[in-house]
Amino acid sequence: MIENIVSIVQENWLLLLIGQYPNGPLGGLASTFILSVLSIVLAFPVGILLALARLSPWRAVLWPATAFVYVARGVPLLMLILWVYFMVPLLIGRTVPGFVTMLVTLVLYEAAFLSEIIRAGILALGRGQMEAARSLGHGYFGAMRWVILPQALYNMLPSILSQFVSTIKETTLGYVINVPELTFAANQINNRLLTQPFEVFAILAIVYYVICWSLTKAATTLERRIAAKRAGTRRIAPELRPQALTAEL
Amino acid sequence: MSVSQDAAPAMIRFSNVNKHYGQYHALVDIDASVSKGEVLVVCGPSGSGKSTLIRTVNRLEEIDSGSITFDGREVSGRVGRADLNRLRSRIGFVFQSFNLFPHLSTLENITLSPIRINGVKKDLARTKAMALLDRVGLAEKANAYPAQLSGGQQQRVAIARALAMEPPAMLFDEPTSALDPEMVGEVLAVMKGLAAEGMTMICVTHEMGFAREVADRIWFMDAGRILETADPETFFTNPQHPRAQRFLSDLRH
Repeated sequence: MIENIVSIVQENWLLLLIGQYPNGPLGGLASTFILSVLSIVLAFPVGILLALARLSPWRAVLWPATAFVYVARGVPLLMLILWVYFMVPLLIGRTVPGFVTMLVTLVLYEAAFLSEIIRAGILALGRGQMEAARSLGHGYFGAMRWVILPQALYNMLPSILSQFVSTIKETTLGYVINVPELTFAANQINNRLLTQPFEVFAILAIVYYVICWSLTKAATTLERRIAAKRAGTRRIAPELRPQALTAEL
Repeated sequence: MSVSQDAAPAMIRFSNVNKHYGQYHALVDIDASVSKGEVLVVCGPSGSGKSTLIRTVNRLEEIDSGSITFDGREVSGRVGRADLNRLRSRIGFVFQSFNLFPHLSTLENITLSPIRINGVKKDLARTKAMALLDRVGLAEKANAYPAQLSGGQQQRVAIARALAMEPPAMLFDEPTSALDPEMVGEVLAVMKGLAAEGMTMICVTHEMGFAREVADRIWFMDAGRILETADPETFFTNPQHPRAQRFLSDLRH
């Protein structure tokens, strides 16, 4: 059984890693990785904007943002994927590659969840920080940029990281619209071998588990460091400080 | 350094200011002014409207009617966003709970606003911040984070942060109320230094020793009104209003 797994990996490692690239589209783990990272990176600024809109006193931004977040959080991801898959080509009048469909869906979906995390982070700071920034003469957005968001995002890093873990797991649903990623590659192998589904999907499970477990572990470590910083017990290395985090925004 | 009310022009003027929180009338017909260079202490029982009053000056609280001017310019009413931000940068505000930015070092707390708002060059902002830290006696804490400082030290940094914008006036909202008793003195010493340099100050405080020693004038407030205005000597030895008499006698017991 173990030997079977090892031999499947030995024979198919390239397919699992990059799909049929360069003879076909990039797939496998590389595609999963790119899809996850792009999703979260693009969802991040959208999530911040949504969070700010949800905290806004103006109904014109508050209501649409709230409606969007409620809908995105309230429907199954698979339904959202199928909706984007069938509706977007109708709306723009041409077909869209599965990868792009999946990316758009994940960005919208993750942005809704991230916005709730970021909103909670902002609300948790309390009024004093905003008041202090405003009393020094910062405008609303200046106060957000330099005082509120660096703290809110930094405090929420563990949650943001676990959202990233969810994103990785959610890329597997790309399978239903034929996005060439890791699950898709595993299924290709399974279809070819026919008799060893347990072994093939065990490989799949192990790969996802290792990736997600290490990221969860990283989130826990981060959480501990943040707790230590709050207690003021250790100096924070510059690369862990929030300016570094928001510099790319 | 007593400044006569009439000789010096008003730095802050309240005209018929009223404010409500729902049914509660928080500020009632406030009509008073603070002269340039004057050190004013506002005292009174809790809930009397002292904090609300000074928070209206930089519009952390909005007023319902009346007007407030700062250095001859209208604060209340329809003020453009940019004007409001500029106005706030010219009024130093010190909070009871310090409100330092915990993600920034002491030095960065002080330099953030001069750099980001006034466009001061980083090196110059740092030099000035170090001078301010020196002035509040915390030069050696420049690279420490707020969580590593005591309450008294945090409040002194907060004062330095407000001073970094070079405001012509400073407002203090119970700056020592959240401090352990042994740290009150170091903060009051910094405030005394500022007063001696001629800074216009409104201090909401329960430190009657400070009021007596440093204030040019005292406003006694209760239930949203200024009930008595007097120089410290008169206020402490011969208060006129019965509510002020009771307040002072409660303090002594």
